[in-house]
Amino acid sequence: MESCAQKKKFLAKDYKSELKPIWCPGCGDYTVLNAITRALAEMALAPEDVAVVSGIGCSSRIPAYTSVYGFHGVHGRALPVATGLKLARPDLTVLVTGGDGDGFSIGGNHFLHACRRNVDLTYIVMDNQVYGMTKGQASPTTAPDWEGSKLTPEGTGINPFQPLVVGLASGANFIARVSASDPVNMAQIIVEAVRHPGFSLVQVLSPCVTFRPEQQEWRDIVRTAVVDYTDDAARAARRLMTDDGFNVGKVLYKGSRPPYRPEFENTDGSIAELEARFAL
Amino acid sequence: MSEGSTQDQPINSLGVLLAHALAMETDAADRYGELADQMEMHRKADVANIFRRLAKAEQKHLDELEEMCAEMDLPHIAPWDFKWGGESPEAIAVDRVSYQMSVKGAVLLALHHEKLAYGFYSRVAAQTGDGEVRRLARQFADEELQHVAWLEEWRDKCGPDDEKPLDDPDPPLSQE
Repeated sequence: MESCAQKKKFLAKDYKSELKPIWCPGCGDYTVLNAITRALAEMALAPEDVAVVSGIGCSSRIPAYTSVYGFHGVHGRALPVATGLKLARPDLTVLVTGGDGDGFSIGGNHFLHACRRNVDLTYIVMDNQVYGMTKGQASPTTAPDWEGSKLTPEGTGINPFQPLVVGLASGANFIARVSASDPVNMAQIIVEAVRHPGFSLVQVLSPCVTFRPEQQEWRDIVRTAVVDYTDDAARAARRLMTDDGFNVGKVLYKGSRPPYRPEFENTDGSIAELEARFAL
Repeated sequence: MSEGSTQDQPINSLGVLLAHALAMETDAADRYGELADQMEMHRKADVANIFRRLAKAEQKHLDELEEMCAEMDLPHIAPWDFKWGGESPEAIAVDRVSYQMSVKGAVLLALHHEKLAYGFYSRVAAQTGDGEVRRLARQFADEELQHVAWLEEWRDKCGPDDEKPLDDPDPPLSQE
């Protein structure tokens, strides 16, 4: 057992900003923020060595609530921004945070190609199966028979998007699902996700207590997955095909694809040099 | 907590007990503070007041504990390796609160967690084979019992209005 002096350089609260979150009390996103800061403290990463990038939505507010570098980007474009950042600054630990609408609808195409590129990022998606910030419309992961929105009073009738299946098929190198009701387990999985090379996808079942209050029952519905991770994508796919979406708390898949790390020529980083490269 | 894991084994080292106590008091002070912030953000002053007072009480415990541990090199324990498994007993689960929770609801929730903290230290005292760990765990349990008594007194003072869910004159509506 290491001593505190040897290991603990930072506390979780060192990664929180002075800004107070404005999420609804009871929202799962509070838990995710706490899990991220706990995970960073456990890895003893200096705040200046970490960046959090997000898109738009309730959960995408996370960068403002952390003391690390942050970029609150354009709707659905967190992954391209994070990809560029990681390629330009491979020394940074880059986390990407957002919701199911931002990630799988507006940013759906970027999601596919981020999985395919396998840049060394950790993508934490707070999935509440609803657009909360715009007052409760069906999202890509909403069940087809959800009748809570005036826009879809009889449900969408559309098959929900399966983030983990699509992520696996597209090449994500690490796949896990966790529950917002267990922030300590979530922190542990985030540590694993960050440490695993390549694109890591962590789906968080994060209830929207305002527009999907029935999701508070998720706490009692979720169960710890009974099997440990596999490095065989075909086996992981078969597990996901029989999965009801409530097996949580363990890593499902760890691949061994090398991350995308293009070599860059050494430059002095000056504007003049950049202009010279684009000169016709 | 999984059966047969090291989490089931008694605490027989003063350093391990203090590492647990520091983590528990830090979590409690932070969590009560976060809940007070949340309620203040939503203009729920009465409920915020409960959590703020508890945050201050826990911060006082934490300050005393940090002073006690100042010269000690405590073991590092990862959040998922603490004996309690999951979140620390004194930290209210974030998803258990609501912006409409009543004053009495907040008091009862805090009371539940203070009792869990008391139970944790009591179990440590009962299970340990180390005399110094037993003495200190009993002391910590007694301190938690003071919070329990304080909250029970508060609960008993709650009137009918304190039991009602807080009113929302402008409730959230889907696509209003």
